[in-house]
Order: sequence, then structure tokens, then C-alpha cells
Amino acid sequence: MRNAPSIVAAAKLSCLAMLGVATAVMPGCANPSRSRDVSNPQVEATTLARQVCSNCHGISGNSVSPNFPNLAAQTPEYLVAQLKGFRSHDRRDPAGFEYMWGLSRKLTDQQIEGLASYYAGQTLAPSQAAAPSQMLAAGKAVFEEGVPAKNVPACTSCHGASGMGNGSFPRIAGQHADYVVKQLMVFQRTHERAGGLAMEAVAHDLSRDDIESVATYVQSMGRL
Amino acid sequence: MNGTRCSANVFSVLLSGLLGPLALVLAAIWPGQAMAIPLFNRQTGQNCVACHAGGQFPELTPYGRLFKMTGYTIGERTVPVSVMALASYVKAANTSKSDDPSADFARNESAIFATASLFLGGKVTDNIGGFVQITYDNYATRGDDGKFHGHTQADNIDLRYADRFIDERRDLIVGVSVNNNPSVSDPWNTAPAWMQYVPVPSPSAYQFIDGASPYPGYASGGNIAGITAYAFWNRTIYAEIGGYGTSKGWSSFMSSGLDNASTTKLQGINPYWRLAWNHEWGPHSLMVGTAGMNAKIYDDPLNTSDPSTLHHFRNWSIDSQYQYLLDPHAVTAQLVYARQRHRYPDFLAGQPSAFVDAQGNPLPNSGDEDTTNLVRAKLSYVYEARYGGSLSFFNLSGNTNTALQTSGYDPTSLTITSDPTAQAPSTRVNGTLAGNPGTRGFTYELFWTPIQYMRLGAQYTAYSRFNGASDNYDGFGRNARDNNALFVYLWTAY
Repeated sequence: MRNAPSIVAAAKLSCLAMLGVATAVMPGCANPSRSRDVSNPQVEATTLARQVCSNCHGISGNSVSPNFPNLAAQTPEYLVAQLKGFRSHDRRDPAGFEYMWGLSRKLTDQQIEGLASYYAGQTLAPSQAAAPSQMLAAGKAVFEEGVPAKNVPACTSCHGASGMGNGSFPRIAGQHADYVVKQLMVFQRTHERAGGLAMEAVAHDLSRDDIESVATYVQSMGRL
Repeated sequence: MNGTRCSANVFSVLLSGLLGPLALVLAAIWPGQAMAIPLFNRQTGQNCVACHAGGQFPELTPYGRLFKMTGYTIGERTVPVSVMALASYVKAANTSKSDDPSADFARNESAIFATASLFLGGKVTDNIGGFVQITYDNYATRGDDGKFHGHTQADNIDLRYADRFIDERRDLIVGVSVNNNPSVSDPWNTAPAWMQYVPVPSPSAYQFIDGASPYPGYASGGNIAGITAYAFWNRTIYAEIGGYGTSKGWSSFMSSGLDNASTTKLQGINPYWRLAWNHEWGPHSLMVGTAGMNAKIYDDPLNTSDPSTLHHFRNWSIDSQYQYLLDPHAVTAQLVYARQRHRYPDFLAGQPSAFVDAQGNPLPNSGDEDTTNLVRAKLSYVYEARYGGSLSFFNLSGNTNTALQTSGYDPTSLTITSDPTAQAPSTRVNGTLAGNPGTRGFTYELFWTPIQYMRLGAQYTAYSRFNGASDNYDGFGRNARDNNALFVYLWTAY
């Protein structure tokens, strides 16, 4: 009887081991209408947007945290290019590889196009963040006129007069200021963004004040 | 003891024989992608900071909480195995106030391989996932010869079925968790199972580091079997209710590695509940909640036939957690108040004490119930998911009860003696002369995460009160501050 406890413990361990084996070999029961499987081509883009992407980007592409960009009303061409850039690792800024490389690695072209279409069709909610009027004015000047002394072109020349984007040039109106600042810094300091040559040239001579004021202005654009 | 050793050997073989090569294979397959619970990293392909605030464990981000609540099912199925190991070193402030320091502070000032964990789990189906931790403690027990013995047993187990109904109008996550530790299913890190410093070696290796400080745990402890059902509505209201019983029969794997005499035995189904309000705005998130559990625990795990031997526990807590997460900053603030009422079985209540007072007069009989209150607060900051630090405060208070007294005057010699042949021997270092649990102090920590699968940290725990007193708490002249301890660790996972 001295061995009885060890038999009990060994039996329990066997149960746990069997559970582990069962877990490993269990067939993947699919529930595609509410799946969070980012490797299953059968899962529709809308399902992925709701079940997975909404966790950070919000159900309608309006993210609560400025850590994550708003995707609502973004141009579909830009969204497709970014998702493919994450998938191929051509876009490799920290926000990209930390959060997006993994989730995009098995997406099909069709799913990527579906996601782009989903977010392009959403409505961007205007930011309610307050900002000093002086900063907004300085940002507006950069946005509309660029910084002529440094040969920095106006944002409007590519992103449109009201920042709504155009094809592969993303919408920036209403984007989180923190996200815009961080991306401008990525362009200014690195080559981590695929297809970012134009923005690298634009951002190269922007001062920190320029970057912060234009980002603040851009964020406010939806409500002005 | 025999059973413990045997099972330890079985698992040691598993760990060393099976997992060593497996870890090497994993390392070869997934170079450079190792994170906390790396199997989840492989499943989602995401960096650890996606789910853990500033990459510190176990604190979850809002996304990490949703990952957990949706049953660990985001991502794709992968090899469901991870490993973790901890090496550490401790220096206690004063080891001289003990008549046998080599016994009381055996591992002091020596670097040790402390613990290793094996994780199983991850996504199984679109609705089912799990998290199973099996831990090997190299210093789990100590034999009569003074040597430590390793032991392997089930740690946290959380197996889930979850579904999410979400569209533009509503977001409802519902799920069921089968788990072995009340509140291990909770998504916030103020829950008793999660409000802890990680990593910590076992108290038998090091007695006075933060891991041995009072935490708001449930009386039932872990390694029991429970089922809870939960719902999270519009990312605002979280509710969970469940019941726990003894781990036996189909659920015996919940206490794997524990022999019968070491397994907590509960009477019937013991209720657990949790309610929390959550709000997220900008980079901020705030939770205010409450939780509780009633448990009826048999005094002797080997005798569950007599209901008159049951201890009755009522645990109740309120907790709050605030987070500010905006790269490169991660701030987490936590506050918990936990109250426990413990009613003793009749045969243990009103009993005379073995000790006497200094004049030889008998002490009051033991009480029939104890109440303890614990306040614990923790503030942490991590920069770039690389450099971090934290400060925490703990204050455990409670009533005095001669039943709790483990040091006192021996009736024969009218001295406080640790001589085991005395009529009433006292416990040095870990004893309490006051019969009071009062313990208060701070823990400070600094850590560095040079690469994501490795963390180097230093923790200092400073006590202003220990086992009911600031000075001479054990009756042998030891003061609370003598237990202040520096803990240095190297943590790795793959």
C-alpha cells in the first residue's frame, strides 16, 4: 500500500498526458461564420474583421486606442498594399511586425481585398480630442502649404485637399495623431515601410514640431 | 512522500527525455519567434506585447484579455507546447538570528535552477482552446536528511469553449472554462490567481521574496476542479459564475502530480462568482470589479466522511486595474482588497493552547473563527517592452488567535525553545509569537528584457511587519526587517 499514492499520481499524470495528445490530434472543428482562424481561406473577410481585427481596430474600423490606426473609410488600395506588405514582411516597422505579420501571414488575396472593402465602406467617427488652436494653425499650414523653406511639399498634393486619400495614397484625415507621428518618424528615420520612398523624402526635413502639429491637425480634420 | 518522489521521477523523465529534444526541434523550426507562452506567439504570429502589457507577464492588454476570453482561438493551430525555466539567487538581510541558519536559510546566497514549466494548449478548434501549465519545482520538498527534492505537478489549467456574437449593434462573448484554480479564468491581473510577481521560485527554496508575501488567494487554493460560465457584454460588463469540487474521477488530471494526502478535499460544489465593469478610452483602460468564493474544506484530505471536520471559508474581494498602453510606454496600476472569514470545525475551536504566558499561566482557548484583510497595490512601468520596474505594497491584517500561535513559552521550562523534545517547542524564523498573521511591506523590482524570450530581474522585498509583529515576531529575537530579501532571477521561455 505504500505505493498507492504514487499510483494515484501516475494515473492523474496519464490523464493529463492523454488530454495533451487528444488536444494535438483533435480534428479542427470549423465554425466559419464566427471563426477567429486567420489561416482558413474559407472564413469570410467580414467575419475576420469582426472576430479578430475589431479587437484593436474597432468593429467599424474606428479604434479606441491610438496605438492602432483607424481603418474606417481608408482607401481600399492602401489597405490592400499594407496587408500584402505585412504578409510579405516588406513593411517592417515595429507596429507592423509586432502586431500584423502573424495575423496576415496566411490571408488570401481574396480575404485581403474583402477586408479592404469592409473598412473602406465604414464611416470614420470624428476625433473629439482637444488641441491648442495655435498648434492646429501650424499644422494646417504644413498640411496645406508644406514647409517651403525646406522644400517639403504640402500634404494636399498627394492626400487630397481634405486629406481623404486617393488610391494608394492613404486617407489621413481623422487618423490618430499619435499614429501619424510614429509613422512620420518611421519614414524619417528608417526604410521600414515598403513603397515609402516618397514619404521618406517628405519626412526627411520635417522638425519634431512640424510633425506633431501636422499630426494634430490631421486628427482633427474630420470634425472641422 | 514515496508517491511524490515516484511521480516526480516520471515527470522528470518526461521533461528531460522528451522535452529537451522537442525544445531543440522547436528552436530550429521557429528561430527568433519566442515570446511569453511562445505557443500563443506561434499561433497568432504576434509579438508578446500584443497580449502582455509592455511584454511583462502575466499582465494582459485589452487585446490579450479578449484573446483569453475568446478561448485562445485567435490565430491558427500550431505545435501546442512551450517551455519555461527560471534560475535565481536570493540574499536575506539577516540570517544570524537563527540557531540553525543552514537549515533555515539553506538556499540563501546560492544560485539555483529553481523551476521549469511546460505549457500545453492553444487553439484546438474554432471554439475550443486551452492553457495548461505543468511545473517542475527543483526545491519542492525537503527530506529529513536536509536535501531538497524536485517535484512536478499540474500548475494552472484552463480549458475553454467560447463563442463571440459581434456585429455593429452588439458584442457578446460567452464561454465555459474548465479549470483547477478559482479565478485562473479571470482576464484581469488583479484576480487572485494572477496578481503575482512572475517569476517566483517555491517558498521552500526562498522564504521571504515577494512570492512568499501575502497574496489575495482563495482558501481552496489550486488543484481543485471547477467549471465556470462567463459572458463579456459590449466590452463593458464581465460576469462569471461557477462551482468547484474535489479533483477526482474525470477531473483528476486537475491535480496531476499530487498524491491523495496533498489534494485539497472540498465538500460538494463550492460557488465562485465574479463581476467587473470595464471601460476603455484612448490608450486607457479601467476595470472595477468584485469576486468571491465560499469553500468547505475537509480538515484531513484522507478523511472525507465526517462533515463535522469541515473548515468553512468565505472569500470576498474588490479590485481595480488601470492601464495606460501607448508605445513605447506601458503603465499598469492594480489595487485589491480581499477579506477572508475562516470558521473552524468544532473539534478545533475553543481548544487550549500548548503554550503558556511568561508567568506560566494558561493562554486563552483558541477562537472559532478568523478574519483576515489584505490590501495589495502594485504599480508597474515598462519602456519599449524592454526596461521595466514596479513597486508594490502589501498589508495583511487579521485577528489574533492562539490557534495560530506557533511560538510561545514552554509550560515546563517557561522559556521559548525550539528544542523538539520540549513539551511545547516553538518555531523559529517562520513562527508567530503573537498568533497573528499581520504582515506588511513593499516590493521593488527592476527588470530588463534584452530579447523577448529572456528576462533578467532584481526584486527587493522589505518587511515592516511579519507574522504579527515588527520586532521579535518569532520569540527568538528575529525582527520583520531581518527578512528583507534581494531576489535576482533569470527567466527564459520558448
